Amino acid sequence: MAEKFLPTLTAGWWRRIPPFRLVLGLCPSLAVTMSAENGMGMGLATAFVLTLSNLAISSMRNVIPSKVRIASYIIIIATLVSIVEILMKAYFFPLAQQLGIYIPLIVVNCIVLGRAEGFASKNPPFISMVDGFSVGTGYAMSLTLIGSIREIFGAGTWFGMRVFSDSFEPMSFLVSAPGAFLTIGTLLALQNLFSRWSGEKFIQG
Amino acid sequence: MNDIVRMVVVLCLIAGVSSAALTVAHVQLGPQMEKQTDLYIRGPALERLFGKPAKEVLNNKVVVHLPDQDVPIFFSRDGEKVSSLAVEAIGKGGFGGDLKIMVGIDLNAGLTNGMEVVSHSETPGLGARIVEPGFRRQWQGLSLETPIALTKDGGTIDSISGASTTSGAAVRGTNEVLLFVRDHKDDILKSISEL
Repeated sequence: MAEKFLPTLTAGWWRRIPPFRLVLGLCPSLAVTMSAENGMGMGLATAFVLTLSNLAISSMRNVIPSKVRIASYIIIIATLVSIVEILMKAYFFPLAQQLGIYIPLIVVNCIVLGRAEGFASKNPPFISMVDGFSVGTGYAMSLTLIGSIREIFGAGTWFGMRVFSDSFEPMSFLVSAPGAFLTIGTLLALQNLFSRWSGEKFIQG
Repeated sequence: MNDIVRMVVVLCLIAGVSSAALTVAHVQLGPQMEKQTDLYIRGPALERLFGKPAKEVLNNKVVVHLPDQDVPIFFSRDGEKVSSLAVEAIGKGGFGGDLKIMVGIDLNAGLTNGMEVVSHSETPGLGARIVEPGFRRQWQGLSLETPIALTKDGGTIDSISGASTTSGAAVRGTNEVLLFVRDHKDDILKSISEL
């Protein structure tokens, strides 16, 4: 257990960081990263759901019959997502409004289901929770990064603060949908280049 | 056979525990959610209806208890006299559930002075366009005496294209408000003066 702890904890921050290494959850990555704040909010909401769903699913992994496991996972995940939505509406209302439909859509986020099926259903609760936390925070970091790039160059601000003087003309297309594809594509390419340069084994095909 | 029973039992248990957890969360955090809605949704809506800063009017709230529901009402004073009301109502039968709307009523002129959407879960791009001013502008200066209707039912309200269900729900909610104000105007003014 102890020897698995550190590798699992750090795996989600580089070796299988979504959405770059674990190319899952691309839809919210493209849709909600107009600003660093939105990206971080979405990422943290996903991380919360992922940590708790991994914990819940792995503690019940011996009870849930394998034929109905996906249905059970969906119920558990959907409950957690609804709780997150209620929490956000109660304490971060403007953010909840900004993210809108993407909060309920965490239910069908492939990362959550993927970690449940791929990790939590085979491992004990504590290590599964660590995995969920690590992948979730990795996702939050990625989304914050994508959001920061798009916000800084697309709107000239970062978390709402001005970073450039008035003479800077923001490339406003970066905050619209095409900019999301461009940013994520470029980051993916850079990450692949870096991995190749450092001689890492490819995980993705 | 045993397997099937186990499946059903486990799924039912999970679903039961989940819904219990959700109910608890909803009941516990309901008031807090209400507060946030007041601050971010009802506040701006009241500013538009009354033309006064939200801080002044958010606390001007009375609730009239009807046998089947509680109706929250906001009011604004012009000097000492109550000049306008904003009555909240449920527009039943929207496309994605019920709408919560607020209808502004100018008591001096005896006309409506606007409609605001407090919450909805309509389809983005279709029914969700109910929040746009273009559609809601039609609620300016309608008579309080006659119920309103969509143009396809012979009325005057043009429905949002592709979202007649949503428009219908807004109209139904408004008619409820008009009826309510006609029947309970004295009760409302009485509970405001008792405040």
